[in-house]
Amino acid sequence: MTGLSIDNITAGYDGREIISGIEFSIERGEFCALLGRNGSGKTTLFKSLCGLIKSYSGSFYVDDVDCTNLNERKRAQYISYIPQRHSKLQGVLVRDVVLMGYNPTLPLLASPNKSEMAYAENLVMQMELGELADKDFSRLSEGQKQLIILTRTLVQNAPVMLMDEPDSSLDFPNRHSVLAKIRDIIHRQNKVGLVTLHDPNFALEYCDKIVLIANGQLLGELRPKTATEQEVLTHLSKIYGNIDVLEHRGRFVVQMNC
Amino acid sequence: MPTSTYRKNQMFILITVLIAIAFLVSICVGKYPIGLTDIFTIVTGGEIDAISKNVFFTIRLPRTIMALIAGLGLGMAGSVYQTIFKNPLASPDIIGVANGATLGAAAAIVFFGYSTLMIAASAFIGGILVMVLVVALVNSTTNINTTTYILAGIIFKALSESLIMLLKLFSDPQNELAAIEFWTMGSFSHVVVSKVVVIFPIFLTGFIGMILLRRQIALLGLEDDESRSLGVRVGAIRMIVLAVSTLMVTSIICITGVINFIGLIAPHIARLALKRTSFETCIFASLVGAFIVLVADCLARSMYSTEIPISILTTFIGLPCLIYFMRSKKAGRI
Repeated sequence: MTGLSIDNITAGYDGREIISGIEFSIERGEFCALLGRNGSGKTTLFKSLCGLIKSYSGSFYVDDVDCTNLNERKRAQYISYIPQRHSKLQGVLVRDVVLMGYNPTLPLLASPNKSEMAYAENLVMQMELGELADKDFSRLSEGQKQLIILTRTLVQNAPVMLMDEPDSSLDFPNRHSVLAKIRDIIHRQNKVGLVTLHDPNFALEYCDKIVLIANGQLLGELRPKTATEQEVLTHLSKIYGNIDVLEHRGRFVVQMNC
Repeated sequence: MPTSTYRKNQMFILITVLIAIAFLVSICVGKYPIGLTDIFTIVTGGEIDAISKNVFFTIRLPRTIMALIAGLGLGMAGSVYQTIFKNPLASPDIIGVANGATLGAAAAIVFFGYSTLMIAASAFIGGILVMVLVVALVNSTTNINTTTYILAGIIFKALSESLIMLLKLFSDPQNELAAIEFWTMGSFSHVVVSKVVVIFPIFLTGFIGMILLRRQIALLGLEDDESRSLGVRVGAIRMIVLAVSTLMVTSIICITGVINFIGLIAPHIARLALKRTSFETCIFASLVGAFIVLVADCLARSMYSTEIPISILTTFIGLPCLIYFMRSKKAGRI
């Protein structure tokens, strides 16, 4: 059973195609990076999967269930989404932000019960964010905010996690720490993770699979753990142009040749 | 108990006590004062003169209850509107409901005379009609978001205002024009038991509706894409919340006329007092609104020989508060 299967999706804005014929799949327990330059269509693909824009054609399946035309509520039971920028949420407590993750599974007018609240509290503890639970979300650091949003998606507990540049506002150590946490969660909880990243080095270090996209078209796939240096170079240079790939302590490192 | 919870509990106790005091004072003061002992005698069923009893049941109690309801409703609606429009300047008339109600009232005054029941019914229809037209216009566009709602609100506000001006132009300046102007300033002087009984179920439906929708209201406070990805059917839920809140606000202003500033100021006071944004803040804003309106109504009928319109007082109370928040608000804080 394939976790996420994308079948020939074409989507865009105002009748203009941004991505066309996108087709790939990700197994359960796999953390996959979607790499591409600015404007290549990564966010458009994410938005069409989340139902934020309607795709012109194609379909996609989560655990063999066709999710293409599900409404927001049903779709959110299969897919969680961490956007590039989250809402400001001034004055909202971290605890309340995390509990928002229950929305897709709760009846419209219901609130989380005691055991659901205890479970969320436990997740906050597991993420080592316990001391932040009663803090104002808007006054946390960007790294802390990102971890809180990640915890909210864990509460949402959808099998597929889409993350649009979750590291974009983080400093160097926080990037490593957040991506390592995401990878561990996906492996441990057997979820499907699809993330867009700007730095291919992070994708090579943390992801099981890399999907390459340029001008709205799929360019190929790469598995960093089994790929050779030459394969990495061949694939990544299709996107980034003149680059060098070095192997250092069993890892690939990409450098631009300026 | 965390400090924030302790502070929150203290604030709720304080505002409840203040409302209780204001409620009692409101029953006591007026052209025919009633003492606290008289109130106790009436409530416990003791012997008391007929005039006091009559004033208590037919004038003071309905009026005080209406002031309480108006404050609760406008404070709550203001807080909800500021959340769902993600705009600290939003208030219940952002989509033109108050103007629609005023148009309804003005039309009733000009075309059907001075029947207060007719004015209330027509104001209610006017308010609801504007909400329906705003929703219909928004849904006819391809870009359904909060800005579209605000723009549609501006359109129907402007249209209502023009029609009100037209009605004023053709109204009798001695009586009808004065009645329209007086209605736009708000007053509790026409409140009678029968009116309160009629609007109370509508108000309660709206108020309870807000409480039941509290989780959805908080989720609408997120950016639209984020709340949709959390499973909120943003378009439909926003419309339901607006319909419920409009029902509540219109049920109030159709009786009282326009009451300025409560919907805008009460949520700011609540956020400043609780230092957080949650549905508890909406409830607290509701209580703050009730306290301000009760105090304003006490002043309205005791400051001068004739009754002062309520909006003059709520504006005088609201403006210093707004100036205080402008000056004390730190960058990026609530």
